[in-house]
Amino acid sequence: MTLQEQIRSNRRRSILVVGGFLLLILAFVLIIGGAYSPGVAGVIGIIAISYGLISYFASGRIIAAASGARPAGPDEMREVQRILENVSIAAGLARTPPLYIIDDKSPNAFAAGRDPEHAYVAVTTGIVELMDRRELEGVLAHEISHVRNRDVRLMSLAAVMVGVIALAADMLMRITIWGGDEDSRLGVIGVVVGLMAAVLAPIGAALLQMALSRQREYLADASAVEITGDAEGLARALADLRDDKRPLQKVTRATAHLYIESPLRDHKGLRSSLGGMFDTHPPLEERIARLEQMGGFKLPQPAGAPSSSM
Amino acid sequence: MIVVWILVILLVLAAIWLMFAYNRLVRLRNEAAQGFSSIDIQLKRRADLIPNLVESVKAYAAHEKGVFEEVAEARAKSIDAESVGDAVAAERAMRGALGRLFAVAEAYPQLRASENFQQLSEELTDTEDKIAAARRYYNNVVQRYNTAQQTFPTALIAGAFGFTPREFFELEDEGDRAAVKVEL
Repeated sequence: MTLQEQIRSNRRRSILVVGGFLLLILAFVLIIGGAYSPGVAGVIGIIAISYGLISYFASGRIIAAASGARPAGPDEMREVQRILENVSIAAGLARTPPLYIIDDKSPNAFAAGRDPEHAYVAVTTGIVELMDRRELEGVLAHEISHVRNRDVRLMSLAAVMVGVIALAADMLMRITIWGGDEDSRLGVIGVVVGLMAAVLAPIGAALLQMALSRQREYLADASAVEITGDAEGLARALADLRDDKRPLQKVTRATAHLYIESPLRDHKGLRSSLGGMFDTHPPLEERIARLEQMGGFKLPQPAGAPSSSM
Repeated sequence: MIVVWILVILLVLAAIWLMFAYNRLVRLRNEAAQGFSSIDIQLKRRADLIPNLVESVKAYAAHEKGVFEEVAEARAKSIDAESVGDAVAAERAMRGALGRLFAVAEAYPQLRASENFQQLSEELTDTEDKIAAARRYYNNVVQRYNTAQQTFPTALIAGAFGFTPREFFELEDEGDRAAVKVEL
């Protein structure tokens, strides 16, 4: 897939995501409208859609607040800011996204913002301490690829929509449990359908979110190598992330898929036993293996790792 | 009658394909031109730094006239360069000249310790990194542009519409970093 094709495919997916979520909201409204009153349904629909619009345009700031990221001062992390500028030039971006800092020992990074003009790249203090220049260059190139490939827009949309669905499901749940069962036209069936929708919708939304982001990570790794011409630097960075087990302090389910590596550090936990369906990221081993193949090198295996674990 | 219709449909399809292929080549040509001008921006930035750098070295080693002249000459060449070939030649001359300038600076510990010189050489290093980054972008785009012109079926129309391969901006010593092959 060429870059242009990927950008186009991201645009199509963005439309699909928005369309799919609008349908979900519509289904919500119909269920509530059927089970209760059309008036309540209309109000919930309007609240959900305006909430969605507001959080899309404020998504950058909301995500920054949710993850505890703050803009870096002009002299703060000068070296990192310089690498970010260089990587942006090498990616052919017209504007270098500003650097944001998260004060957290856990190494991680993400890019956010609704389009390249409003994007920023956030790094934790932990990742800057942990990694050398070459590795950081790989990580920042990976994030810049998300910006250039318009992944950030898709991911911001996904984060916003998951939030909207959660809100609507929450309202539906409350209405179903506390709402007057006397005037409910569908009675028990309505309550059951309502409850099922309230439980299933967020799961569906989350699944979509995960599926959207996993493929993106491989593509961003490949674009990063095109930008830096250094597959080994990024592979070593990913190996560092694999070997670090500290979870991020400030992280929510809605922003988990933005990071370069799952901030929940859950890739070996219960979730993985469900076939990785809920993982926001592909296994690091697989990503490293693809980079090794691209660059024609082999990283040393981590000490004491069982070779058959994958 | 049917034959006529089939011919019409084929013609329409060919026209649609032609439009897309032509637009793709134009887009790549524009990206390459933009990539070259972004190298140019960084080269200008460096050209602006150089007089100050030379002055700071002159303050300690005024007698090293040969080096200063060489740097000034390389700088002039770099500013005048319009084609990629000229720019590459100027870049090689500049590297040699700056290398010698810093070799001279090595011999003067006081100069190396001066804050002014340290700041200037730091900025120069940063600019060199940015030139390298801009070159990488340009070379990636040129690679795509040239490949599009040489591969079937775009190759059929590239020549007819006046698309010609662009020169890479390559200096010799960057073999392995540029050689990584990426399949998206």
